[in-house]
Amino acid sequence: MNLSTKSRYGIRALTNLIGQDCCCSVSKIAQKEHISSDYLEKIFAKLKKADIVKVERGASGGYTLNRDASKITLQQVINALEKPEFVCPDFCNCQSKSVWHQIQSRFNQVLSSITLDTLVASKNKLIYFDYAASTPTDPEVLATMLPYFDFNYSGNTSSLHQFGLRSSQAVEDSRAIFADILNSKPEEIIFTSSATESNNTVLKGVAFANIKKGRHIIISSIEHDCVRESAYWLKTQGFEVTEIPVNKDGLLNIDLLKASIRPDTILVSVIHGNNEIGTIQDIRKIGKLCRDRGVYFHTDASQSFGKVPIDVQKDYIDFLTISSHKIYGPKGVALLYIKSGSQITPLLHGGGHEFGYRSSTVNTPLIVGFAAAAQISINSLNQENHRLTQLRDYLIKNILKTIPNTHLNGSTTYRLSNNINISFDKIEGESLQLSLDFYGIACSTGSACSSHSLKPSHVLLAIGQPAEQAHSSIRFSLGRFTCQSEIDYLLKVLPIEVEKLRKLSPFK
Amino acid sequence: MTTPVGYSPKVLEHFHNPHNFGSMDNPTSLGQVGNPACGDVMKLYLKIDKNKKGQDFISDVKFETMGCAAAIATSSVVTDLSKNKTLESALKLDNKDVIDALSYLPDIKIHCSLLAIDALNEAIYNYYQQINHPISESLQKKHARITVCQTRLNH
Repeated sequence: MNLSTKSRYGIRALTNLIGQDCCCSVSKIAQKEHISSDYLEKIFAKLKKADIVKVERGASGGYTLNRDASKITLQQVINALEKPEFVCPDFCNCQSKSVWHQIQSRFNQVLSSITLDTLVASKNKLIYFDYAASTPTDPEVLATMLPYFDFNYSGNTSSLHQFGLRSSQAVEDSRAIFADILNSKPEEIIFTSSATESNNTVLKGVAFANIKKGRHIIISSIEHDCVRESAYWLKTQGFEVTEIPVNKDGLLNIDLLKASIRPDTILVSVIHGNNEIGTIQDIRKIGKLCRDRGVYFHTDASQSFGKVPIDVQKDYIDFLTISSHKIYGPKGVALLYIKSGSQITPLLHGGGHEFGYRSSTVNTPLIVGFAAAAQISINSLNQENHRLTQLRDYLIKNILKTIPNTHLNGSTTYRLSNNINISFDKIEGESLQLSLDFYGIACSTGSACSSHSLKPSHVLLAIGQPAEQAHSSIRFSLGRFTCQSEIDYLLKVLPIEVEKLRKLSPFK
Repeated sequence: MTTPVGYSPKVLEHFHNPHNFGSMDNPTSLGQVGNPACGDVMKLYLKIDKNKKGQDFISDVKFETMGCAAAIATSSVVTDLSKNKTLESALKLDNKDVIDALSYLPDIKIHCSLLAIDALNEAIYNYYQQINHPISESLQKKHARITVCQTRLNH
């Protein structure tokens, strides 16, 4: 099969007819796209015949789209200009005939799913500074997982037939990748649906499995809501929860942790890299302390995995949470490392999947994608950290320098390479977030206005920020696809928008 | 019908191009509500004159707001709705009028529309106090509620 210049030129020419500043005359398009006018006329004649374009008369005459660009697919354009075929001739009865049929139908599916407007939209690129909220799936990861949606991998991993075994093997290979990265045994890795599920499993599972030892649980004051809310719910079930404060950098007070561990303490849960202010805790020190005192240690590494090396043995970790969608893997999959021999009750009972720790049909494609994403992150860890740290520090330095009354929240030293959290005095974070969104720049805020409560971020309050400053905080989180020009664009827009909102504010 | 996501186009329009914003020299009265600790503070300035019938009316109005997009949009809309209204009819405005003018507000932002109406009521209350105008029971109640809210928020 061979896509001729006709189709490629036709699509290029059509993108010129989208939007307000379309240039409709054939000669103009021909000039712009370096295509001969005569050739282009022939292409347009065919497109007109297929009702994709219509003729505009008058001085500014030429062609316009016959319907909205979102209603024109590449498939329609290509079919109007040529008829590419994979399929063997009818009389042919060769072995490979069905394969060509399949390829043709896939090919058509892809071409019909792309419309002309999306080709143009990708030109007006949005800028994403919210990688800590979620990351785009890496195209390489997507390509790795796609075959696992196929018929060949449709088997349930619990089944003993070839379909089941194939799926099962893919999951076990993925498990081995994580075991290798984390320095654990494969059977200590349990796949779950989300970091929230992993964290809920640890908090509730350890609590109910260790009642004989005690009912006391320790968490830090800057945990993610899924740990905090699980702990608070456990309080209603007769457990006792101690929250250990952090200093202004967000670092845990380890002396206080030491003093808070009691004979009836069953679990200490401390977030590794904080999601809001990016503070990285010394988990090895905390882990060692817990191990010495015979208390389980859990750390939520959703933000830190792929940025900070983790070794479950050297770091004395009993339970570890990692999420896929924070490391350019698909959403809907995460893992929980459970040190062998640990006492923990599952949340989900059923068919006994995942060594009995988590019943549910195993999600083969997502797990394969998750493992591929982890491998890429670990392979590029040092290089990517170096690059992001430079971009991060450049952005922080320039915001603080060019915009008065701004403060960095969190630590300058113990900070995730991609996290920037800054308060802009006298304005409210959500309004700044929305102002930037107008420019196509995505970020997030610790302001209460974006949450369901009237309380600002508990993390910013925990590091001693007054509520006013917490409301005025903005988090920019960088990632794999962030580049210097995007940071420079942000630095151009940000002072203007901050100034505009400060003008609106009653506080000068 | 699907549930709308995010802000209405009207809210965004008012947020990006707010009407009547800024401070006012020598306002007749002003009302300030909200609390920086909660992330919302609205300040409404009123210029009050007499119309041909000799009634008090709002001849000019300005606002300054520190708050989210909804807080800024509701402030802007309240200035539009109250401008050139007699005080009596301005007092009849409620947060439904504000929400209607903005098409809709997300549930968690309804309190912003209340805050904007509170600011207007406070400004009128302060004016009545100034000129020793009798204050209706309903306005007195609203003022008491707003004051209680502020004190609660301050602690």
